[in-house]
Amino acid sequence: MKRQFTWFDRAIIAVTAFFFLAPLIAAAEYSARGYGNKGHTLSNYVWIVHEQGFWPALLTSMRISILTVVLVMVLMVPTVVYIQLGGRKYRRLVEILCLLPIVIPVVSLAIGAQVAMPKFMQSTSYELCCFYVVVAMPYVYRTLDIGLQSVALTTLVEASQSLGASWTNTLTLVIIPAIRSSTMGALFITFALSLGEYTLAILLHFHTFPTWATNVSQENLYGSIAISVTTLGGAWILLILIAFAPRLKALFESKKERAI
Amino acid sequence: MDQQDTHGSTVEFRNVKRIFGNVRALDDFSLTINPGEMVTLLGPSGCGKTTALRILAGIDKDHEGTVTIDGKDMSGVAANQRNIGMVFQAYSLFPNMTAIENVAYGLRVRGVDATKRLAKAGELLELVGLSAQADRRSNQLSGGQQQRVALARALAIQPSVLLLDEPLSALDAKVRAQLRDEIRRIQSTIGISTLFVTHDQEEAMAISDRVGVMNKGILEQIDEPGKLYNKPKTTFVAGFIGLTNYVPAVAYSKSAVTVLGQQIDISDHSPAVAKGAEVTALIRPEEFQVERASEGATIITKSFLGPFTRLGIDVGMNDLVYAEVTSKEAKKFDTGDFVKLLVHADSVMIENV
Repeated sequence: MKRQFTWFDRAIIAVTAFFFLAPLIAAAEYSARGYGNKGHTLSNYVWIVHEQGFWPALLTSMRISILTVVLVMVLMVPTVVYIQLGGRKYRRLVEILCLLPIVIPVVSLAIGAQVAMPKFMQSTSYELCCFYVVVAMPYVYRTLDIGLQSVALTTLVEASQSLGASWTNTLTLVIIPAIRSSTMGALFITFALSLGEYTLAILLHFHTFPTWATNVSQENLYGSIAISVTTLGGAWILLILIAFAPRLKALFESKKERAI
Repeated sequence: MDQQDTHGSTVEFRNVKRIFGNVRALDDFSLTINPGEMVTLLGPSGCGKTTALRILAGIDKDHEGTVTIDGKDMSGVAANQRNIGMVFQAYSLFPNMTAIENVAYGLRVRGVDATKRLAKAGELLELVGLSAQADRRSNQLSGGQQQRVALARALAIQPSVLLLDEPLSALDAKVRAQLRDEIRRIQSTIGISTLFVTHDQEEAMAISDRVGVMNKGILEQIDEPGKLYNKPKTTFVAGFIGLTNYVPAVAYSKSAVTVLGQQIDISDHSPAVAKGAEVTALIRPEEFQVERASEGATIITKSFLGPFTRLGIDVGMNDLVYAEVTSKEAKKFDTGDFVKLLVHADSVMIENV
């Protein structure tokens, strides 16, 4: 049945939309102002891509973010599946471990954990990836856990294995697609968190996109706002792409079949 | 569809034991399923029937004893290496796949190319009458359709054994009866050895070659449905299969009892009794003959069951005694009528009080 919105629902939606959109619109408008009241211009956005260090910083951040996403998924999906299937006695322990990154200050994490990092990884992008995996863990754990609770996991796993599937097949062909929205949520959270993380990067002397943006923002006020808008816009586009990718793929495949 | 290459395999459980804490889920369980045979394990909740099935599937490995398929010991063989098709009680279709993708899944993980596996899956969907629903996902299928797809999926890998774990219990009565007959038809057509687990005796009796009745981890009796009903070997089987009246009796001799004023022989599988001992006779409703009388037992309830009518009769015990007569004959009786009950059986099973 189609949901009927009451005036109260509409009011809530309007207030929420205003709360989120007003600062964004204001920032977008501000970032398009030219110096000396010359009307609106895209020059601040052009300035970003031409500014020295933009592309290396962005590429470094992208590389670290993608690696973090892969690492966090490889680590967390089997862990959460295991806890749901048979390792319930470890649930409390994992929950506590996943809370630690929230309660331990990032400064302590950076300085303390760096000492424990193997020498060959110190000062490499992989070191930062490991820290980002730790920071993303609480959010990823919760998101995946909720997703797995919504499916009949034990039955799906037993059905898949009785049909001859290995654990890898079961995870990649059945479980992850069955909790697609949770997986996508976890993936997006990790990517966005890694792409925008500043404190760890600056403490460990990495030149990532957020550290570059902070440095150049001091030179160009309008440009710094343009960087914020671009980052936020980029994140939104990414979110939309991730959320709609399977539908776009299905649409593309059905068009291809019709063409055949 | 093409005849599958599947041939019936011999399955053997030898002295299998499974203990959960203090509970013996399976106690010295031995069973042989012959090639192409459909064997049902029947029993109340917690009797160990599903445990036996899960052990054969390789899902439960923590047991003693041996399980073999065609003589090959299955201990150490992982669930995904046993080539066993299984239909579960809960709906188990993969939600991210369509019906045909679900059926083709087992072949996909075996590396069969897309064209061949989809063709095979199409054949099996045709076998279960769901060709038109091939592109639907599980949330677009009814419960009965989902279980049919699950059956086709289990058969697609050409398993050596088919396991059915109460696949009909979540369905409504009409769909359950239809699907029950369909499962039997498909099983007979393919000739696959099948282990079916259920707590529904009507279901078990209707489609099985043999039914094993389980109680507290023990296989009490395994026999053809007719023999199980007519010649129960234990009082549990007699009480569990069909409706049974427990009527007080006295041992007239070591081989006969007096029940409701009549002398009847004691059946072979009854426990030994001493002359004069008070015992309980187990009598089925259809083993009574009801005659009008001027005094004595009174009809308290009268339930129409289609061709038969069940009369609940007060014979002075705490519980009513139930007798079944043809509905035509039942027209002669009304509640409140006095009747005489005659036991119309060669022998009765007894149990000690």
